Amino acid sequence: MSEEEGKTTAEPIAKPTFKWKGLSNQWDVKVEPNEHGLRLGDLNVGIYGEVPEYWEDQTRRPRGSVSRPGIPPLSYSLRYKHDVWADCAADLYEEAIQRQWIPATDVPWETLETLPEEIEKAICQVCTEVSQYANSEIEIISHWQDEMSYGFHEVKQYLATVSFDCARHVEALRKRALSNGGGLGIESKGVANRMILQSSGGWTESVAYLYLVRGTYVFHLIKGLHNSAHNDAERFIYKHMLQDHARHLTYGYDHLKYAVTHKDGQAQVMATLLAVGEGIMARELDTSLIRPAMAIIFGEGVEGAKTKGMDCYLELVKDFVADYVEICNWIGVEKTGRLNPALQQYLDL
Amino acid sequence: MSEAVELPKEHEVDVSWLDNMGEWGIKAEPSNRGMTLADIQLSSYGELPEVSENQTGRPRGAAARPEAYRVGDYGVNKVSEIWLDNAEFLYEEALQRQWSSATDVPWETIKPLPDDVEEAECLLCTFFTEVEFVAGDVPARWIGKTSADFLEPRNVLTAQVMDEARHMDVFRKRALANGGGLMRMSGSTSGFVGSIDLSRDFTEMSTRLHISGEGAVLTMFRMGELFGQNEAEKTMYRLCAQDEARHVAFGVMHLRYLGATAPERREEIEVYLDEAESQILAGQQNPASQASETSEALAVLLGGGQQHYDEGYKQLLAIRKRQLKEYMKRVESAGFGERFTNGRSPLPKQYASVA
Amino acid sequence: MPVFPSEEWFTEVRDEYNKDPSLHSGGGGACDTVSGLEISDRFFRIQFEGHQCVDIHESSKSDIEDLDFVISMPEETWREMVEDIQANGKASALLTLNSIDLSSEESIAYSPVDDQYRQDLFYRYNQNFQDLMDASARVETSFE
Repeated sequence: MSEEEGKTTAEPIAKPTFKWKGLSNQWDVKVEPNEHGLRLGDLNVGIYGEVPEYWEDQTRRPRGSVSRPGIPPLSYSLRYKHDVWADCAADLYEEAIQRQWIPATDVPWETLETLPEEIEKAICQVCTEVSQYANSEIEIISHWQDEMSYGFHEVKQYLATVSFDCARHVEALRKRALSNGGGLGIESKGVANRMILQSSGGWTESVAYLYLVRGTYVFHLIKGLHNSAHNDAERFIYKHMLQDHARHLTYGYDHLKYAVTHKDGQAQVMATLLAVGEGIMARELDTSLIRPAMAIIFGEGVEGAKTKGMDCYLELVKDFVADYVEICNWIGVEKTGRLNPALQQYLDL
Repeated sequence: MSEAVELPKEHEVDVSWLDNMGEWGIKAEPSNRGMTLADIQLSSYGELPEVSENQTGRPRGAAARPEAYRVGDYGVNKVSEIWLDNAEFLYEEALQRQWSSATDVPWETIKPLPDDVEEAECLLCTFFTEVEFVAGDVPARWIGKTSADFLEPRNVLTAQVMDEARHMDVFRKRALANGGGLMRMSGSTSGFVGSIDLSRDFTEMSTRLHISGEGAVLTMFRMGELFGQNEAEKTMYRLCAQDEARHVAFGVMHLRYLGATAPERREEIEVYLDEAESQILAGQQNPASQASETSEALAVLLGGGQQHYDEGYKQLLAIRKRQLKEYMKRVESAGFGERFTNGRSPLPKQYASVA
Repeated sequence: MPVFPSEEWFTEVRDEYNKDPSLHSGGGGACDTVSGLEISDRFFRIQFEGHQCVDIHESSKSDIEDLDFVISMPEETWREMVEDIQANGKASALLTLNSIDLSSEESIAYSPVDDQYRQDLFYRYNQNFQDLMDASARVETSFE
């Protein structure tokens, strides 16, 4: 058979069925951009904005689209709105996109200058442990993200930005540790990481540990780092990490409040989880090398760490615990006078 | 009254760790691309373990702590299972090339379209939203299973999940921005791409997702410039195409690395490619194939309307041919090209038979 | 007034592209590539580093294995695109590099070593190349 004979003639054009035409749950939708552009939250009009209390669908059906019978189910386990929701998720998603930063080129690396060795070591130690915190954040988010159904796509999309933020933090902290004559420190014992990664009762439980218990501490930690930064490079890194982290906490706190106010019994569950978590967090504070490292940073050396440095660090922890109590109260889990003694001691200092 | 100065209270500060840190004296310098991940691959910090025993999430090169909890669930712990030679480069590129669907797409350029064109565009957007759900969920699943020692590919995957979130978002926006709406879901994300879901090995997943699935979608996105009716559509498809090309690059380079470093797995990979190619030929999942609703929508768009369906369809067939060729070339680039010359793959015959 | 195609023309276009960040559209971030532009029987090497096009010069088509990819079109097609950019401020939809590529039976981009991974860089960096060509709207151009 010749080459020409071997080729078929032009592939016949399949006759279209057009069965898909006219199949829409809501047509004539026209969302216009405003001065902020066309944002995710703007799309929540008509049925497209109807976020159900329970998402029955076990496929990847986009919310508002027409379903198709006979599609095998997927294993999304988080199908109640109170499992994942925060009203701010769509806005936070867009904000995250607008506020991206690039450690390689945005950080003024040339401003790094040699520091006294014990301070450099302290900074590198903190970088090491905080990057492990960020790593565990990525891992727990990516675990639960896979379980979240698409009725709540705003949350899934927002959490994608959070993982990306955390990847950037891991990257930036590693770069800082390896760019000024130092190196990485000793790994974290992992007390709090374990608490977070072992939380298997649901995304809400993970959020409570990740953002309320540990995340509030991390916020104060990064703030402390920023306030004692030695150069513009560090200042830039910590400022942008703080910005990102503030977004993470906003989602976390909002979700917890939503869960407590919309799920019967959730407040009591939270109270139990937090009681356990507070003890674990107190152990983290005791065993983590962040404590002596920050004292060295605040005290501008080992000698100063023993006095002013540790005083400053304990003040930071006190602020964290005070904030934690206030946020718990706001969420609807009363903590004033009900704190685990291991954390209460910091308020009593 | 005593005049003694009140001394500040002294705390005990553990400083024993100061002498037990990781390798010291490292001073990475920024290159002309800034301080990239490649620039910090220095000394022990750049050494990749063949098999990672790190189950604590320890940053690569950090000093181990004997009492640290083993909290990792890291099934992906061999370098051959996840690595690719340009991971740092792809990650930095991803960071540099982020965009915002809210503000970088000129939504104001969208004007009312004929009903048949609007419907076709909305169907395609519904499909793409659904497909990007898979591409977001599945890589995310593997991030937490991958040892922290391989932070570079982990970071690339995190960037991909970010890209896919943006894609889900931009197609939903398009569907709701011009008098249309979402249409019927395709269901194909539980079919062919269901096997992406079911993959129990990272390379299997990557072969199906990055090389086969995203390779096909890349061509679809590029086509957006041809069938896009306004600057907004052309922009959104163009930006998505760039992201998608990066994801495809991950797949090709990972497969290349695995093929070179784990030759005992080559036959296994060939089986995954066999399956992916039989699905390509079956055509249910490829919107440029014959049998799908999305192919009809594409033909309407490429023809500029239902009345030019046949013309659009011919363009689609030509593009399908390009898709096949590019797929084969990517697999060849990944080091598995022999399958196209030794008769194992049915694709060369398929490609040659398309006039 | 520089003539298209010529090293002088490409240099002026490059300078326009480099000096105005507004020409670097969303998604067209930093890129690093050494590529080729084949205009009938003329050949130009082009290099991007970060956000800048750092070099573009006329060369021969020998020893091009180091190039990531080559964009090759007949001079008439290049000219049609440049004229369209001159008239409209940027390439019209059917005359972008991407559209021309898709409308052609074979890709306009090729890898000198036949490596699809490197050829795919044309897709990854498409926006930068298009932005560079679109910058030619600011360069008064004459044609041979």
